Amino acid sequence: MMYIILAFISGCLVILSMIINAHLAKKIGIFQGTFVNYTVGLSFIFLIVLFRHSAVNISLNALLRLPFWIYLGGFIGVIVVAASNKIIPRIPTIYSTLLVFIGQLFAAILIDYFTGHAISKGKIAGGLLICAGLLYNFYVDKKHLDVAQQTF
Amino acid sequence: MYKLSAVLTGVLVAVMVTFNGLLANQIGDYLAVLIVHIVGLITISFILIFGRRKINVNRDIPVYLFGAGAIGVVLVLFNNICFKYLGISITLALGLFGQSIASGIIDHFGLLGMDTHTFRKEKLVGLILIFAGIIVMVVY
Repeated sequence: MMYIILAFISGCLVILSMIINAHLAKKIGIFQGTFVNYTVGLSFIFLIVLFRHSAVNISLNALLRLPFWIYLGGFIGVIVVAASNKIIPRIPTIYSTLLVFIGQLFAAILIDYFTGHAISKGKIAGGLLICAGLLYNFYVDKKHLDVAQQTF
Repeated sequence: MYKLSAVLTGVLVAVMVTFNGLLANQIGDYLAVLIVHIVGLITISFILIFGRRKINVNRDIPVYLFGAGAIGVVLVLFNNICFKYLGISITLALGLFGQSIASGIIDHFGLLGMDTHTFRKEKLVGLILIFAGIIVMVVY
């Protein structure tokens, strides 16, 4: 149950950081903002690791033995920022949000299948329900957006 | 074309959370967050250098705008922990639900300098569907 709440809070934090990023990007630029974020984040986690000695009980050898791709998460994160920056201004925000959500959801179901987590009919059915909900709200927003545009 | 790219961006997010989660399983949650940030900082530094972009942080920037970096640390940490116990699809599905709720609240009250968009009651239907989908995912 605790993890379910943590995952939910993560979603809220995503929105919070997206808004702060957008404000920061307006002042200094999107890539400069990303640089600032990673610098602040790195200092922050560096301090945490420093004060938790137990967290670094691992040898360099053990790190080198891991496959190369496992380290690419941070790289992909920056690519996502860059890609969003190219894509989002070119399609309406509600489309982009919906499409990004759908991409996430179905990639996630596939990945669970390949990483040995159970893939069940429930996950697919649940995924479809979530998409239905996203689509429904998308059309509510779209309807009101169209009305708002016509009144101008 | 851009629509396909938007879907691919979503796929990348799922791949990213998976890689980070697998890394955390191997070397521990905190160290994984440290490495994710080192790799990310190197990547963005390259982009800035090759794009010949200059950073000018001397202007009056309110301190809270630097907060996103700290949020990012918490975010990667939470995602790593949840990945371990929930798998990727439930972690991301709950994340999407959290995003929908948070953006609804922020829009409704016009928080954090955003425009106010009153929440439409019809959208409760969508939120309930999303919530039902999550329950189906978790239970079955």
